[in-house]
Amino acid sequence: MSHHLFLLSPSDTPLYELTHFSSRPVQNVSSPLASNLPSWSTSAFAGTLTALSGASSANQQYNPQGGSARIGGGKDRHVIQMVANASLDVIEDVMRKENLMYLKSVDKFNEWTVSAFVTPGNMKFVLLHEARNDEGIKSFFMDVWELYVKTMLNPFHTAHTPIRSAIFDARVRASAKKYL
Amino acid sequence: MDPLDFGSLAHIRILLLPVGPIKRSDFEKWAYEIRSFENIRLGDIPADAREERARFMPGPLASGHIHLSFSYHSLPPSHALLSLFRPSDFPLGVIGIASCSESHAMSSIQSQFSTLVKNTFQEGSAYPLARNCFVFEEGENDANLGTHAGLVVIPGMMGNKKLYVGTLLAELCSNILAEFATVIQALESPLGNEYLNAALFPVLPPASDMPKPIDNDIPMRSSLPPLPHQSSQPELGTPVSLLRSKIPTPLITKRNSSIGPGPPTSPYRQASLPVQSSKKKLATIGAVSSHGRLFKMLGDFFLLAGRTMDASVWYNEAIAMLKGSQDNIWHASALEGLAIIPILDAWSAEKTDIVDGEKEPWSDTGTKLSQAIDLYYRATPPSDTESGYAFVSWFYSRAVLRYTTLLYAIWSAKGWGQLAFATLLNTGLGVFPPTLTNGAPSSQNAKRSSYGAFERLTVATGITRGLIADVLAQVHGPWLLHLGPNERISILEHTAAIYGILGYQRKEAYILREVLGCILDMIVCSRDETGGSRIAGAGLGIQGVDMGGTSQGSVGIRANDSTEGNDSILKLVKYICQVHGVDLEAIKFGSASGRPASLPSQGIDGDLDVPQEPFGWPELQIGIVREAIAVAEALPDYPSVAQFSLSALKTLHLVMSQGDQHHLFNTASKALSTAKRRGDSRYIEYWSGQPVVSIEILPLPLVRLPLEKPMSLLSREDDNVPPVLVGMTDPFLYNPRRLTAGQGVMLLVQKEAFDVVITLRNPFVFDLELSSLSLSTTGVAIETKPLALIVPANSFHPVTITALPLESGQLTIRGCVVQAPGGASKEFLLPLATPDEEARQERRHSTMACENGRSKYFGLEARPWERPNHRTSVYTQKADIKFLQCKIVSEQPLLRIRRTSLTHGAVMLYNGEKSSIRITLENVSALPVDFLHLTFDDSTVAPAQQALTEGELSVFETYETEYDLIHRPLFVWDKKKSRQLAGPGEKVVLTVGCFGKLDCTSGTIHISYAYCHRSQNHLETPPEVFHTRQLSYPVLVTVYHMLECHGLDILPYTPDMIRYAGDDNKAGHTQTSLQVENIEDWCIFSVEVRNTYGIPFEVTFEADHRTSSATALVPPGSTTRVLLPLRRFRLSEEQITQPIPTLSDRQFVVAKSNLSSQEELVQRELFWYREELLDRIRGSWKETGGMRHGDLSLRQQRLTLPMLDVLQSEDIRVQLSVHSYSGDENPAAVGSSNASSFFPPLDEFVYLHAEVVNLSSKQFTLVLDMSISPSEHVLYEGVLSGIPIGRIEGRSSRKYEIPLTFVACGRFDVTATAYIPGQKNSAGHGQITVFVE
Repeated sequence: MSHHLFLLSPSDTPLYELTHFSSRPVQNVSSPLASNLPSWSTSAFAGTLTALSGASSANQQYNPQGGSARIGGGKDRHVIQMVANASLDVIEDVMRKENLMYLKSVDKFNEWTVSAFVTPGNMKFVLLHEARNDEGIKSFFMDVWELYVKTMLNPFHTAHTPIRSAIFDARVRASAKKYL
Repeated sequence: MDPLDFGSLAHIRILLLPVGPIKRSDFEKWAYEIRSFENIRLGDIPADAREERARFMPGPLASGHIHLSFSYHSLPPSHALLSLFRPSDFPLGVIGIASCSESHAMSSIQSQFSTLVKNTFQEGSAYPLARNCFVFEEGENDANLGTHAGLVVIPGMMGNKKLYVGTLLAELCSNILAEFATVIQALESPLGNEYLNAALFPVLPPASDMPKPIDNDIPMRSSLPPLPHQSSQPELGTPVSLLRSKIPTPLITKRNSSIGPGPPTSPYRQASLPVQSSKKKLATIGAVSSHGRLFKMLGDFFLLAGRTMDASVWYNEAIAMLKGSQDNIWHASALEGLAIIPILDAWSAEKTDIVDGEKEPWSDTGTKLSQAIDLYYRATPPSDTESGYAFVSWFYSRAVLRYTTLLYAIWSAKGWGQLAFATLLNTGLGVFPPTLTNGAPSSQNAKRSSYGAFERLTVATGITRGLIADVLAQVHGPWLLHLGPNERISILEHTAAIYGILGYQRKEAYILREVLGCILDMIVCSRDETGGSRIAGAGLGIQGVDMGGTSQGSVGIRANDSTEGNDSILKLVKYICQVHGVDLEAIKFGSASGRPASLPSQGIDGDLDVPQEPFGWPELQIGIVREAIAVAEALPDYPSVAQFSLSALKTLHLVMSQGDQHHLFNTASKALSTAKRRGDSRYIEYWSGQPVVSIEILPLPLVRLPLEKPMSLLSREDDNVPPVLVGMTDPFLYNPRRLTAGQGVMLLVQKEAFDVVITLRNPFVFDLELSSLSLSTTGVAIETKPLALIVPANSFHPVTITALPLESGQLTIRGCVVQAPGGASKEFLLPLATPDEEARQERRHSTMACENGRSKYFGLEARPWERPNHRTSVYTQKADIKFLQCKIVSEQPLLRIRRTSLTHGAVMLYNGEKSSIRITLENVSALPVDFLHLTFDDSTVAPAQQALTEGELSVFETYETEYDLIHRPLFVWDKKKSRQLAGPGEKVVLTVGCFGKLDCTSGTIHISYAYCHRSQNHLETPPEVFHTRQLSYPVLVTVYHMLECHGLDILPYTPDMIRYAGDDNKAGHTQTSLQVENIEDWCIFSVEVRNTYGIPFEVTFEADHRTSSATALVPPGSTTRVLLPLRRFRLSEEQITQPIPTLSDRQFVVAKSNLSSQEELVQRELFWYREELLDRIRGSWKETGGMRHGDLSLRQQRLTLPMLDVLQSEDIRVQLSVHSYSGDENPAAVGSSNASSFFPPLDEFVYLHAEVVNLSSKQFTLVLDMSISPSEHVLYEGVLSGIPIGRIEGRSSRKYEIPLTFVACGRFDVTATAYIPGQKNSAGHGQITVFVE
């Protein structure tokens, strides 16, 4: 089971990305319709469609030993980014109404559930996950927020500076390991 | 109506077909006429008398409608399997539209129509159930066309055609309804039921399989014998008419209690009980299958027939049966049918009655639909049929869309009302909801509604956008791949449309990418180009996609592509990119016709250097851009490929990898060349930002540089101010104008080429090729050649452009016109960096910098092109922009130095030597030179000027320095003596005097020349200025220091010296005699001259204008003292009290010296006497045995006070003499050899004669003291001391005589001192020696 975390600046630019593989099992509740998919064209555009519709990852779920290595790279990575980006629509909609920072399971797309965390500075932490784990994700987000705030204490760090700190990365990973 | 629309289940689809020769416009006109009937009231349907066909006919006074939808296409044959599952998808009726004017064509129309219908529909397909062909008569002739079976002729002269068409449609519907009964009859038979239950998607049993009716004479279709008796109607055996009359009654009572049929309640349950028994009966007969599917079909048909009450009864029945049998798909379909019934009812009722307060009226429908969605989702299609997955996915997606449409329609219509029903049943998604357009016509701007508008709808309905999106998101999944391309595209299109209306642009873009993928896949695969692998290599946004095999090279045959629709695809691409913050139209297409039409100058503010904060997700942006380019390549649309590539380069190059940049650039250039080859007339405008960083005019070389001088300079012939001190003639210590004067406009010369250095910048990682770079100028015409060049990657690159001004006047260089290969040219303006301009830039930069790092707007509102819309405070003051300007002056002559008398430009001089240099100038231009002026500079000038400007020197030193600068220049030139004209090609020789000045190492001769007296038209005002050019000739100067003077002294003559003076002559000195007549008037000037050089020099000093001179030979290394008699002099009081002058007109600097006034007086006295002395004494030297000669300067020497006393002749002189009076009263000096010694006789009376002479112009009152020693040997009368002389006027004398006698032989010294009473110092002095023998 994988998690994908994106820290997005107010201008939708990712400042930090993390892919985390959790050891917890996935409860697979996919539709029988998602199986037995035809490969109906060899053109590259068909590949785009296959990837975007989530078909390629659906296929992977059926051969987990070979598939998990590919998650987070290649076309899936692109699709995951697309999903995260598209979920901003809903996040922006919800965050104007809700008074909360943690927007749990704010969007669902393909097999992904999107949870988000909006900081007062309008940074958006977007997490793509497959299983429900509200409390864990909330704790994780709070951790990331704290780490982010500490990073922002750096006077040379603006809201648009990518976060390249190794310490930040290590701590986020540790937190992900703990909660996700 | 689209099959995806909400109400499609209740629509009878009618296919409109053009028959025979009919013009497109005619067909469209008639089709439009027919399409305007969207529904027909049940009461208008003509009833069919036959009983077995009347099953689905409306009751006589039934209220309700049959909804119609029209299409031009039939379903693909693969969908034939669905004919029983979803009859509403199929065209149930066919209307042929023909137009005809002559009767004999009728038969052909009829045959054409029947073949058309046969071809359109598969053999053995159940539909269409009814057909008709409308023949619209053309023209006015009312020829009776006759009646043909299956054809309806609508005469052209008929007035109200619409009414007639409506009637015909109602008739057609009636036929269809009648046929419903036939179909159901076939299925009601046990065999039919078996067929119905045989597969997931059953088909109608072929007629041959149907059991023959018992009585053979009855046609099969019209009557199925067992059915009326053992039909599945609740009341077994009751005729249909009875059923119709009976069933509605209990239902109506039920409806009063609750809306919607819901699960069958008690009366119906009771009614359905017999059904169970009949089922058992069926089972006993041999049919093992349940009747659930049959009941569902009945529901479908009733729904189509507009009899919603019947439909809901049958649906409920079906659901009850299907629930048990795990027939998920049929179950879901029945739920769907049931779900839309309330909407139909509400639509027909035409009034909204929301009775239930706590429950939304649509919640029931929603629940049913979500149940259906869930059922579809969990359905497992049989794996044996390939199309099973496709159909289930298709129905699943449609169910999701149906639910979404429901929510959306209610949301967009502000609640449960007519508008929502109309959206659901009639208009569908094709129309933008009027509630979001704010009454304005839905233009492109109004398309994106504000957040407030969305929220208003949400508040009014309680349906959030999130809810709609959430439901809609279910449609998206891997199962989309099961669908056929057409279905997939329409599903995705709908999804995108809803997302778009909801304002979820990113999701819309996501889906649109898939739409594009589908469309392009179809485009590519349908091409006959070896499987489209050519495109596969073009690079996609998503990496790692298998590209398939690469094609072998082969000769491609290109058919003319149809470009129809390409624009729409490109529009989609652009929209997707825009959502992601990439403006693919950042670079526009230039016009094709006006090729050199350089675009309006926007270079000033257009491109910002301020690093704007990036928007968007760089990885996604690049991926999407690559995909966009791949799409454009696949179409193919090469100019668009180039446009996209270059736009992406321009906007994204900061985040792009090097490889991507190279790739995009190469793609663009390839595409451009391809487009050009194929004759595409579009041009890409220049794309690469502002390439010009700076423009400078390279200054002309000094010999060519014209200098502007006022005309008045010519008339002012004699300069009072020496040119050396030119820098100091400014009366101000700090003159701000001097600074600006230096930065005057640059001068260029007509018809002489000048160079402009343009610095270009290439921010990209590849070499940027520019096919043309030229100057953009206004003002006078220039001649210049455009330059093609390559700017190296990631660098600043200076380029020199040579231009030739053709006229004189003002030239403004505005910027550059740049053209990239294959693109249009564009002008970039570069304003001059004036303080104003810089301030403006600074303001803009600070505005940007202020906004950077602050995110006032987020998300899509933060896209770069949205920002200016938000900013309300705009700096509007239009600063006038200044450009680089230069003045082109008219043609100028040109001189060059042909030759000089110097070798290697070096001159060797002795200190103080005078020499001359000859310079030959040649006029190499076609214009004459009529003005020539020389100025000089040397290495001593600058330090001296520096010292003077610093002002640290004392007054005396200042004077010395200035004197040195003015009176002892290195070079001199007599302007008057030399010729100043040089015609074209002529030569002029200049002679420049040269003076050896110590410490000088180099000098420069500047020759300014001009052609100032030009002929001109009389009407023109004469120019106020003329232009000179300057030639400079540097001279290396070596000055040898060989003679130095020191030890200047001024000695008085004493009487003794005269005596011995004669002896000095024998010393062998060549100096003149020191003999003077009157020693009182003379003094001796003495100076030591030392020769530090290797050869002897002859030194001559002259005094008092050559009245006396002394010459001495100074051998090398030795020192010689030179003595010279000098007449004493006295300067007037006024002269010596003058302050020490400054030679320049410098502003007076307050003396810093803190001398007392007395000291100052002394200093001035010394100064003036020294000046006078140096003026009188001239030193010169001559090389012995050589020609060289020069001056010897005494200016290093100082005058001391004792020297001054000697030099200065006294005010009052006492002249003593000894007289004797002989007989005649005339006194005679006794025995005087000269004026200072007398030889009076012993013991004789003589007279001591003292004459007090006042040499000055003042008057003095004097007392005289005399003394004679030894006084005891002298007898005299009166007193010797304190003799009052009285007042003596200036320039007069007073005499006084004392008679005396010397009483002893020997020598007597007589002195006389005149003094002013009360003053200690003597005023005058006299002395004689008397020898008495």
